[in-house]
Order: sequence, then C-alpha cells, then structure tokens
Amino acid sequence: MFKVIGGRALPAARLLAPRCGVWVESVRGRKSRNDPPAKSKEGRIKLPPPVDPVEMVVMKERFTEYNLIMRALRLEFKEEVLRKKYEEETGSLAEERARQDAEEHKILMEWNGAENHRMLKIRQLRVQKETEEADQRKLEVILKRDHERQAFIQQKEQEILQLQEDAKNFITLENLDQRIEEALDRPRNYNYAVDREGRVVKRTVLD
Amino acid sequence: MPMKGRFPIRRTLEYLQKGDLIFKNRVKIMTVNYNTSGELSEGARKFVFFNIPQIQYKNPWVQVVMFKNMTPSSFLKFYLDDGEQVLVDVEGKDHQLITQHVKKILCKSEEVLHVEALAKMQESNPANFGPKKYCLKECICEVEGQVPCPGTTPLPKEFTGKYRTQMAAAQE
Repeated sequence: MFKVIGGRALPAARLLAPRCGVWVESVRGRKSRNDPPAKSKEGRIKLPPPVDPVEMVVMKERFTEYNLIMRALRLEFKEEVLRKKYEEETGSLAEERARQDAEEHKILMEWNGAENHRMLKIRQLRVQKETEEADQRKLEVILKRDHERQAFIQQKEQEILQLQEDAKNFITLENLDQRIEEALDRPRNYNYAVDREGRVVKRTVLD
Repeated sequence: MPMKGRFPIRRTLEYLQKGDLIFKNRVKIMTVNYNTSGELSEGARKFVFFNIPQIQYKNPWVQVVMFKNMTPSSFLKFYLDDGEQVLVDVEGKDHQLITQHVKKILCKSEEVLHVEALAKMQESNPANFGPKKYCLKECICEVEGQVPCPGTTPLPKEFTGKYRTQMAAAQE
C-alpha cells in the first residue's frame, strides 16, 4: 500500500507529512476487480450525501444563472476576437489597404520595367560596339596579312631579279675556256689578316 | 577554429541581423543567375557573396536559388504567390545598387516594419496571462518571486479560504 520514493518532486495530493523522515506515497486502487472487500467494511452501506431540498433548489438556480452569465461572457469575447480578425482580413479598411498595395506594386513594377529597359539599351550599345570593334580588328588582321604577303612577293621578285642578274656572270660550257684563261691571267691573293672591325691588316706575298 | 572561410564575418549573428532586405509576404522564391568570371557579373557575385546570407536569415521562408554560368548576363528573378515573375537585370551594377533596387521594389517599407514590431510587442505583453500560444505566462504562479502553484507545494493553512472561513466562524 505504501511505496517509498527517492526524493523526486510529486504533486501534494500524493505526499504525506514525513514524520519518520522517509517520503511515502499512497496509491489509489490497490485491489483489482475480483478481490473481496475488507472485513472492516462488512455490512457497510454506502449512501449518497444528504441533500437539503430547499438549499438544492436555491443552489441550482444560482448555478444556472452563474453558468449562463459566464457562458455569455465567454461567447461575447470569442465573438469580439473573431470579428476583429474578420475585420482585419476582409473588412473595408483591409480592402482599401489591399487596393493601395496593389497600386504601389504596379507603380514599382513599372519602374522596374523602365530600369530593365534602360539596362537593355546600354547592353545593346555595348554589344554593338563590341561587334564593331571585332569587325575592325578582323579587317586590320586581313590588311596586315595582305601587306605581309605583298612584301613577301616583292622580296621574292627582287631575289629572282638578282639571280637573273647574277646568271649573266655564271660560268657556262660556252665561256668556260674564256673564263679559265681570264682566271689564269689574273691571280688573286687571299692570304691576308683581318682585325676586329673587318679591315685588312696585313698581306702576305703570294709566291 | 571559429574562423572559417574568407570573410568569416558573414557568419556572425551581428552581421546577419544587420540585413535590411525583408521581403513582402507575397515573395516566395528568389532566383539569382550569375557568372563566375567577367567584369559585368562582379556586382552580382558580390551580392551573392555578401548579401544573400543576410537575406536568407531575415526571410527564412523564402526559397533562394543560385544558378552559375547558365546565361551570358546576370539577373535576379522573383516569383510571387500569384504567379507573377519579377525580373531584375543586374549586369554591370554594383552590389549596393542591386540591394537598393530590390529593397525599393519588393521589400517591406520602414513604416510597415515599425507597425509589425509594435504589434509583436503587444503580443508579448508580460501583463497578459493566458494560453501559451498567445501569452508569455499562463498563471502568476509561474512568475519568480510570486506564491508558488498550490498544485506543486501546498499553501500555508492561513492562505486557504477554508481555514479563513473556519476562523471567522469560530470568532463569531
């Protein structure tokens, strides 16, 4: 029937005054359904508490009146809260506010659209400039390449002309004998020293 | 150990609470398209780096999505609850300019914020007792320094009405 507890907090209804310094607890309904009642309860007739009819009538009247008033007050307050909420969401003021919000939103969206339009114009200009610059650069590259090709061709032509000029002095089978005679008649001396500037410094005599 | 990443100040509460972009209730999704390279996208990149944490902190119920290198130009797109889409071109703009622009078109104004703050203060009036949903405390016994709840500790006999009526009856 009595259970010892280890110092945990419990509702007051369950705690007894600790005279012996040990906290105990009484648990209701220890016996189960089929257990017989106790010997001390033999012959006990359980009667409801006595009721005074006059007092009962008076109490009933008072309680009905009290309950009526309390219920009315509660419903009154609930209705007030609901009405406030309804007014807040779908009242005339709320509609006015919603309309104003919609108007402001429309104005702001138009402003945003104008900003986007402006950015679009700027972007178009920039893209156009970039394409023009790219075309310009391409043209320049083509011109440069043309120029280089022309210069190359001219250089090659020069070389060809030079070669043609030189070809006049080549030794061929026809003038072979003549050139041999000329070489033998005019001996050349290649024995000479050169300084750093390329000037001839001294010659040795050819024997 | 507490300093993580570049500009760890972005992770501090003080920095996040300083954010002043609080969207209207109709804004549900915010999308940012930007590029990871290029001069024109620099403002958008800075916006994403510095301002997005503040925005998400102040608007926890708005979905913020970032897309990188999907379009040649950078822009912001907002999706409202009635299906309207708001496009904001941010190519070549500075991140502060972008913030101002967005604040002007889609954020709650100062007056609205002020009114909301007042309403919130009224809600949390400590003088009101009631259900936890609407008030801070349910009963005065929950306040420190007041008489504790008789449900937990029994009241001294002198405070009970029963004892007082008994004493009054005895005196008579």
